[in-house]
Amino acid sequence: MSLYIFSILLMMLLSPMLLSFIKLVKMFLLYKKPISIFQGYRNLSKLFVKETMVSYEASVITKIAPFLVLSPLLLVLFFLPPLSKGEYYVSFIDAFTITGLISLSTFFLMLLGLDSASGFGGIGSSREAFISALVEPAMILTIFSVSVMAKDLGVAQAGINLAEHFPQDHIASFLFASISFFILLIAENGRIPVDNPETHLELTMIHEAMVLDISGFHLALIEIASAIKFMIFGSLFVSLFLPFGVGLPVYLAIIVFLVKLFLVAGVVAVLEVNTAKLRLFKIPNLLGVAIVFAFLSLITFYVLGA
Amino acid sequence: MILFDSLTVTFVLLLTLAVIPNLFYTFGYQSHIKRKAHFFIHYFAFIASMYGVVFASNGLMFLFFWEIMSLTSWQLILTDARNNTTIKAARFYFFMTHFGFTFLLLFFLIATNGQLELDFSAMKEIVSTFAYPTLLFFFLILGFLSKAGVVPMHVWLPYAHPAAPSPVSALMSGVMIKIAIYGMFRFLFDVLNMWQLEWGVLILVLGAISSLVGVLYALSEHDIKALLANHSIENIGIILIGFGMGMIFMTLGLKTMSAFAFIAALFHVFNHMSFKSLLFLSAGSVIQQSNTHNIEHYGGLIKSMPITAFTFLLASISISALPPTNGFLSEWMIFQSLLGSSTISDISLRLAIPFSVFALSLTGGLAIACFVKVFGISFLGLHRSTNAKHALEVNIMMRTGMILMALVVVSLMLFTPAFIYLFDQTMMQLSHVSIYHTVFPNIWSLHALSDNKGVVSPLILLVGLIVITVALLLVYKVLKIKERRCHTWACGYNTNAVTQYSATGFAGPIRIFFAWLYKPKEQIEKEVISGHQTKFVEAHYQVHVKPLFEHSLYDNMVKFTNRISYYVYRFAHFEQTKYAAMIFNMMLTVLFSYRIFTHDFSWATFALESVVMIISIRVLIIGVKR
Repeated sequence: MSLYIFSILLMMLLSPMLLSFIKLVKMFLLYKKPISIFQGYRNLSKLFVKETMVSYEASVITKIAPFLVLSPLLLVLFFLPPLSKGEYYVSFIDAFTITGLISLSTFFLMLLGLDSASGFGGIGSSREAFISALVEPAMILTIFSVSVMAKDLGVAQAGINLAEHFPQDHIASFLFASISFFILLIAENGRIPVDNPETHLELTMIHEAMVLDISGFHLALIEIASAIKFMIFGSLFVSLFLPFGVGLPVYLAIIVFLVKLFLVAGVVAVLEVNTAKLRLFKIPNLLGVAIVFAFLSLITFYVLGA
Repeated sequence: MILFDSLTVTFVLLLTLAVIPNLFYTFGYQSHIKRKAHFFIHYFAFIASMYGVVFASNGLMFLFFWEIMSLTSWQLILTDARNNTTIKAARFYFFMTHFGFTFLLLFFLIATNGQLELDFSAMKEIVSTFAYPTLLFFFLILGFLSKAGVVPMHVWLPYAHPAAPSPVSALMSGVMIKIAIYGMFRFLFDVLNMWQLEWGVLILVLGAISSLVGVLYALSEHDIKALLANHSIENIGIILIGFGMGMIFMTLGLKTMSAFAFIAALFHVFNHMSFKSLLFLSAGSVIQQSNTHNIEHYGGLIKSMPITAFTFLLASISISALPPTNGFLSEWMIFQSLLGSSTISDISLRLAIPFSVFALSLTGGLAIACFVKVFGISFLGLHRSTNAKHALEVNIMMRTGMILMALVVVSLMLFTPAFIYLFDQTMMQLSHVSIYHTVFPNIWSLHALSDNKGVVSPLILLVGLIVITVALLLVYKVLKIKERRCHTWACGYNTNAVTQYSATGFAGPIRIFFAWLYKPKEQIEKEVISGHQTKFVEAHYQVHVKPLFEHSLYDNMVKFTNRISYYVYRFAHFEQTKYAAMIFNMMLTVLFSYRIFTHDFSWATFALESVVMIISIRVLIIGVKR
């Protein structure tokens, strides 16, 4: 039980570092002077002491939405697969609920964008609604296919099952599902081919546009939420699609998990350096690829497996 | 005469839960209605007739109350009869509802051998000897699904609901279309219970299509009540997905799985009743205060109408199927029954069902987008018109109605096990096995029955969310952060209502992506200054979406009928000699076809006789053109 709480706290605390790490790798690859890996914490600590600005146009939604953006994601952290074998894990929540909780967080984020009566917030919410509507089917189909392979819909149990009995007969479906999930990881976290998290230009305004009018503590909550969202997707990817090293001794297992996590972050960083941001109406093509791969994964599983 | 079993009890509960808040709301709303006597007579008759349909135990009673239900709701749509669009909508509804009624009548005439007083149990014996059960199935689904508003018979919903007064639309959308689902449960289980696999597949496909079509047209709609009506189409689709999966599992002999799917469908019936009634009631308050249906003219209503706004928010979260609300739970159950398809041994079916998973999940995603649009545009931001500026919170009766309905939503969320127990009893009575104890081993967690061990614990989720949010709020309070008010930064300009994002703009990306379906008509008008379009002061952008089905299916049907009637008209205006020629030709046809069908058929004589017919028609009837 203490290990369970420790791993949740670890993930919570490491999530800003993960985003800083991506930035670091990107700057390194672009021959810039890299930022410190602790930059994320510095930004947050600065935001925590600032006073919050609430606009006259905004309503009570602005005051409560940041909390409701963060709290479903914090709740998801409790249901993630265990870092090592034998650790306590929650088995009464399945993958659907996790997608639902992530959508709940996005729902309030979109309302936040519309609340301040600014045109930019509206742009951001509208685009986010468009993208997340198309992400949903790919996500659920991928979950379906992974759950069929892991023989359990609960992500925690599925992670353990995959680590113990890797479905070697179904490596093709497994690969297809992992490709689909990786695209979703990029799309849901607003990384480069879909959204650029580092600029505030109108062309790339999706996530950043929604939170333009938020400041101080509220902004800190939103920033933590986006870091934790990346952590959720990263750790799901790591425990479902790279399910090795869980059986090692506890401390080794945690180190292996972190190495895998930072590896995924590194891959995202390399991808971001090498691709350009897609036009908004090209994004459905990318998500269409994710949907097709999710379907392919299921179909290959059924056709080859049965 | 009166039927009283657990299916009846379930639907009586559904009706009662919907009607009581509605009565409060209606009494608050009545000052808004011009023809009060007309309204109240039909309102109470409408409610009574719905109870009558549920209690009816023979064909005659059922049809009688069904017809009363249709006629009273038709009159209720006509409450504000001076409006031209209202009359049009009412006429359309009248035709559509009687289209369905005809098929129900046909079903009953066949199923009772013409004696409509026979009980349902007696009908079962007659039906079991009838040679073409699929024909009866088609009569049933044409009759019920045209009332439920399933694609392609959904076209009347977006017209009828906005025309009726708001409490009536809440009843029509929340309960009346569920009475059609009651009919399907009653007759498919009690009367026509030799199902074939294809029936379930057909219901599943219809459900998947309606859910997608409903939500897509809801997104492009800006009339708040038409939008909600389109969401009814979507939710009926979701219910039918559950129903269809149940039928598929039943015909494959997987009894527990089918019970799970049917319980999911019943649960969604209840949930949709609760949140859709609440949405219509809140929308009605907004319309009463702002006097317009168009969400582009609302904006900022959360400041002046907090109770309406928060009930609307609760219902929006629930209808978007976000955890831990009741809408999420029933959609979760339907997803679980779809995922149960991995246990089906028929591989083609197993490969096909993921497509309905796809349809249902896309529907879920689009529903979230749609409700962010509705709630964000109408309640958040600045007032978009003077009407919205003068909106105030509604009177106490209407508020009571909305709060009671919100309590129904919350109770469906909190007391899920109790409701599932009720549905389990209902399914047991409809000759299923009890699955309550496998689904709810304890009251905390809801288990799925398929192999992949899905599980969700609504109460733990709710408590967890509340605890974490409160903890975060406490941190905010403890840190004692200073707050400053300022105006929204609009790049140096004034922030005003026009600079906000509009609903048209919000749905823009989705509308452009689905342009192949919407085929929108866009109009851009720019003010032209002395022949130059470069600097314009005012610009109007209008986009209009006409539903595809209405355009292709209904309009083309009208065109086709018009063409036929033109020829009939031409036939009726011949000279007398040509009538004689027609009679002659008719006799020739009869003789020839007698020859062809009774004697040995040979292509040579067939060709010869056809040529003779064509020549005689050409010369005698059509005549030589001058």
